[in-house]
Amino acid sequence: MKLSKKGASPFFTRSGLMRGGVLIAVLIVMPQLFPQHWIWNMMFFTVLYAAMSVAWNLIGGFAGYPSLGHAAFFGIGAYATASIFKSSEILTNGWQPFFMLPLVGLGCAILALPIGYIAMRVRANIFAIVTITLLFVAQTLGYNLKSITGGAQGAGLSVAPFHLDIFEQPFYFAAATLLLFAMGIAYFITKTKLGMALTSIRADEDKARGVGVRTTGIKVITFAVSVGITGMAGGIWAYYLGFIYPQFAFDPLITIAIVLMTFLGGRATVWGPVLGAAILMPAQQLLAYYVGGSQIYLIAYAAIFLLIMLLLPRGILPTFLNKRRMDSMATKGDLSGTSTTPVTTGGSKS
Amino acid sequence: MIELLRVENLTKKFGELTAVDACSFTVKEGSITALIGPNGSGKTTVFNLITGYLPSDSGKVEFAGSSIRKQSPGSLYRKGLTRTFQQARVFADLTVQENLVVAGGGKWTNLFGRRITAEDQSRAAELLDEFKLSHVADLYASELSWGQRKLLEFASVLMSKPRLVLLDEPTAGVNPILIETMATHIRSYNAAGVTFLIVEHDMSFVMRVCDPVIVLDRGKTIAVGDPETVQSDPRVLDAYLGD
Repeated sequence: MKLSKKGASPFFTRSGLMRGGVLIAVLIVMPQLFPQHWIWNMMFFTVLYAAMSVAWNLIGGFAGYPSLGHAAFFGIGAYATASIFKSSEILTNGWQPFFMLPLVGLGCAILALPIGYIAMRVRANIFAIVTITLLFVAQTLGYNLKSITGGAQGAGLSVAPFHLDIFEQPFYFAAATLLLFAMGIAYFITKTKLGMALTSIRADEDKARGVGVRTTGIKVITFAVSVGITGMAGGIWAYYLGFIYPQFAFDPLITIAIVLMTFLGGRATVWGPVLGAAILMPAQQLLAYYVGGSQIYLIAYAAIFLLIMLLLPRGILPTFLNKRRMDSMATKGDLSGTSTTPVTTGGSKS
Repeated sequence: MIELLRVENLTKKFGELTAVDACSFTVKEGSITALIGPNGSGKTTVFNLITGYLPSDSGKVEFAGSSIRKQSPGSLYRKGLTRTFQQARVFADLTVQENLVVAGGGKWTNLFGRRITAEDQSRAAELLDEFKLSHVADLYASELSWGQRKLLEFASVLMSKPRLVLLDEPTAGVNPILIETMATHIRSYNAAGVTFLIVEHDMSFVMRVCDPVIVLDRGKTIAVGDPETVQSDPRVLDAYLGD
């Protein structure tokens, strides 16, 4: 880690600020270049899933607790928004549901505190099983709490009164704002002691407890923040679709997609999940568009993923970062007298 | 010398097996005390019970005059009681310097401060220099050799300026030169006021570095005394050599 002249690690680096600036510019400019609705739609889903992957990465990547239940909170966020803005209500302008999102996220985070406290009494692998159980419990409740969710018949939301020519744009920018918020948290984690504490939990939780890391509190709060963002994503998604069903709101495939995106791009990094979403979501949609009728797109989608995992098992970003680091150390001759075991993830360098 | 650690009738059972059986001993402040015994005598279990990694079934553990029997490892660490493990445990995905900083402890609010402050950097640099790890400060811990990991683990528990350090087999698997380095560091930190309780199988190391020596057999304390006395105690010879 580069230290400042005073010996402290910097919060902001010139390259970090530049990367952030480029991302904001791309998020604003990119869709303007393509006026077609299907491209706006694809970009909306890419950015929404990128935000969820970055959020999942906080707990699944940095802390090493692979939650498979994030879709439960996605669904809760979706139904919370649907309950507040019922289809019978006519919106004077279309922005109220977006302004309500922080409250939806906060509600999901508060709900996650006791759940996380109980679920995180077990270690990472068992935690994955506990959280997938949570997802199926939430899905079952979605089907059966008919007064809130409408059951299998679904629930409608207020129609967004945006002009048809620009209908996708407010949703896209809401998702982009959520992505920047999630990335801001991930960036903050990598630049503070919180990031080191999470990495220590992932590496060896018992040892971390033994050197005074407040493991329980850190894990539970990180889980709450992670699912809070996921709940907000659910709210945007529900408002965009206008009508939601339990089988899609509490869909295990949502969790699987965001886990795959994170692993593909590189977990425990700020940019890895964004990269993974930027590859997988358009690939999935384009393959579905071109070869969707034959279902071959699912095989092609899996093949892309398997190929990258075969060639870059630690994810794209950590593989390249580690190679660049090793090359730089070999040039400086810093490798003498050390083991050459690579780090298991991208660490927290990017 | 005052008692820093008091263990009284400490007992731990795993099913039908009594791993620690009414074990009692004390560790005086400023001493380098050894805890020895044949394989399976319960030494590491005693460490786990003292440091809060395992709950005991009965008995008392007091640190600096206060009961610590039901406290967590983190809380004990903040009170100045810390330990190393038989297999060197370091955080593989953190750099060597970060391994030290994360072990520096501190308040909740520090979590939201800079990853490495100037103060952290200076404290870590001191230890890295002492343990001759400065040249690998920016490497990930996973890239260190076994001996370097042992040194890093030892250095990291000293970051919080502890009063009592429990070392579990500090010389296991390290070369003779590094064993001497370990002995030098233990003596030097002991001279600076740190008390040590050491589980060790290398008798030559124990006899050179530690005094007193506590001997466990089948979870019970069978002898306590200076190295020479313990070495010639028939109960100890019997425990090691059998009937």
